[in-house]
Amino acid sequence: MPELTYREAVRDALGKALREDDSVFIMGEDIAEMGGSMAVTQGLLEEFGPGRVRNTPISEMAIVGSGIGAAIQGMRPIVEIMYEDFLTISMEQLVNQAAKHRTMSGGQVKVPLTIRTQGGAGWSPGAQHAQQLEAWFVHVPGLKVIFASTPEDVRGLLWSAIYDDNPVVFFEHRTLYPIKGEVPDELEPIPLGKARIHREGSDVTVVATGRLVHESLQAAEEAEKDGISVEVVDPRTLLPLDEEAIVGSVRKTTRCVTAHEAVTRGGFGAELAAVIQHGAFDWLDAPIERVGAAFAPLAFAPGMEQWAVPHADDVLAAIRRTVARS
Amino acid sequence: MATEVKLPRLGQGMESGTIVRWLKTEGEAVAKGEPLFELDTDKVTQEVEADSAGTLLKIVVSDGEVDVGTTVGIIGSEGEDVSALLADAQSGNGDVPAATAETTAATPEPASATEAAAPRQAEPQPPPPPQADSSAQGEAVAAQPAPPARAESERVKASPLARRIARERGVDLAGIGGTGPEGRVIAEDVERAASAPAPAAAPAPLQDVEVVELTSTRKTIARRLTEAWSAPVFQLTVTADATELVATRERMVELMREGYTKPTVSDVLTRLVAAALVRHRPVNANFVDGKLHRFAAANVGLAVAAPAGLVVPVIRNADGKSVQQIAADRADIVSRARDGKLQLADLEGGTFTISNLGMYGIEEFVAVLNPPQVAILAVGSIEDRPTAIDGVVEIVPTMTMTLTCDHRAIDGSEGAEFLRDVKAFVESPALAL
Repeated sequence: MPELTYREAVRDALGKALREDDSVFIMGEDIAEMGGSMAVTQGLLEEFGPGRVRNTPISEMAIVGSGIGAAIQGMRPIVEIMYEDFLTISMEQLVNQAAKHRTMSGGQVKVPLTIRTQGGAGWSPGAQHAQQLEAWFVHVPGLKVIFASTPEDVRGLLWSAIYDDNPVVFFEHRTLYPIKGEVPDELEPIPLGKARIHREGSDVTVVATGRLVHESLQAAEEAEKDGISVEVVDPRTLLPLDEEAIVGSVRKTTRCVTAHEAVTRGGFGAELAAVIQHGAFDWLDAPIERVGAAFAPLAFAPGMEQWAVPHADDVLAAIRRTVARS
Repeated sequence: MATEVKLPRLGQGMESGTIVRWLKTEGEAVAKGEPLFELDTDKVTQEVEADSAGTLLKIVVSDGEVDVGTTVGIIGSEGEDVSALLADAQSGNGDVPAATAETTAATPEPASATEAAAPRQAEPQPPPPPQADSSAQGEAVAAQPAPPARAESERVKASPLARRIARERGVDLAGIGGTGPEGRVIAEDVERAASAPAPAAAPAPLQDVEVVELTSTRKTIARRLTEAWSAPVFQLTVTADATELVATRERMVELMREGYTKPTVSDVLTRLVAAALVRHRPVNANFVDGKLHRFAAANVGLAVAAPAGLVVPVIRNADGKSVQQIAADRADIVSRARDGKLQLADLEGGTFTISNLGMYGIEEFVAVLNPPQVAILAVGSIEDRPTAIDGVVEIVPTMTMTLTCDHRAIDGSEGAEFLRDVKAFVESPALAL
């Protein structure tokens, strides 16, 4: 199996879609000649030309709005919002338009639009360029939300997002772009709404997303030294959510930690905790622990930034709390 | 200068005791050496005497179980301010179980029923707040009002999983000690309780049932005899002709001077067994931490049925005492055992135990080992039985004795040799000289 970086895996899916399907085009700030601020779209302009790899003005509202228009007209646009922090500027188009058209038109209009974006701390981008806002979109009926954590997942899920007939907000994590991982020889679509069990365990389930999947796997290794067997589950699709897999895992292990880089309060972990307590109430042997960032605008200073966002040791501490004895 | 009255350690291995009642009330004068309160340990109930003279200013723990070293009262001069000492004592008594600690807030006079039922204003140790979620670091955590401690102690904290398992297996959560954070009962605790043999097999509750709380003595009996059950034991039984034993005892009673305790057959037997013990040290031993402690003197424990349960007070150096002295010692400890006045010292240091159920007409039985001792002799009643003597059947008084031996310490031949001597001494007491 070939090995790709997470960045190359995204590019691979984009390239394949552009190559095979004339209805696909990509659009965003500096994605053409510059290859995107995160270098994800490098080389695509050369292969597919400026008609299908389009630079846009600095207007997220316009980017998403024109993507919606093209999607309604039968295209499968993939638009890029350079930082997920600036999804804020496209909120009207995303929340009031993209998410609503299919239902409000009685199914006559479809919006097969993919909105790629990225975010995340770890490189001192400051408070306005590193947020993790995925939970906002999970609250909006009509959207689908994906947060992939590995090269294999990001490629297979992006493909499914492009070919889903609904608007999909597709989160990538800034610090995951360089990580490498094996991917199937041929791109295999990964169905939306299917969680991935990265590691099986019997004592505690950690439900983690994005960067925290990797931190949780590391914490699981540490916990194993203490004889604590940790199962690590990545939902991958936050909306729709694979409740069956997550609840099933917790019913097996009887304890649960949720982990994401977003702030804890009102984060996706809260939704997970609610789903789990309902589905696995009679199987829970300890309160569900949540791991997330401190509730504060993210500091620029590297030390402060690292303090604020969670790491493997925070996940490990939460794991230990779930198996603690008095 | 006020001094604290701390729960004393009355014997080795004593970790806690239960205050049964105070013999002085707050404000009452106390002389040094005067009995202050009654203390129930796992072995005896004993009066604890005052170490200092003065006025009993405060009873900090009026009853219930407390750890050794806990401040239970304060003695000082009348009118002295003891609030500082009291605060120290109460913070130092942090481990006191809630039920006990609650009594620290009791009013000086015995509280009326309504007062006792009213929630206390100031609980000495509010439960610690739930563990802060470190993932919420930096977040403004709204202060949660602490629930009243009383409600806390009434509701059993248990995880949903523990509750489900308890429900499915019919286990009462209230009886389970939780090992989760803040004492929460977790699944493992319920499973342990459910797999415990006795409660699991409990039949449906009957209408007419008396539920008896175990006294600390009873708990000790339960624990120690259960322990004893794990030792690999074997039993040896002999039947001895008791003619001479009975005759010897009768002569002794006849010759006894007035005012002395009348020796019983058991007293004579105690002396004879002691004589055999010092000749067979493998049997006169304790098994402690994988080592055998063999003793030169025979400290013979007598199993006594006391109201609170079986106790085994010890007759020291029984091999060096006259039957008369043994009778006097036995009468003293048996009467004190029945009155619950034994001291820990009366119970310690036994090297062997005799359990005699002859007076109940029990012909023979098997006694359970009394650890750390390695052997125990079960003595049955003296019965007239047809016995072959020199080829002729005669009716003679006989007594059957069964020796239970800890095989880790004693081999069959050692036990047999000891028992052969016991039989010989019973049949010819003069041989024990």
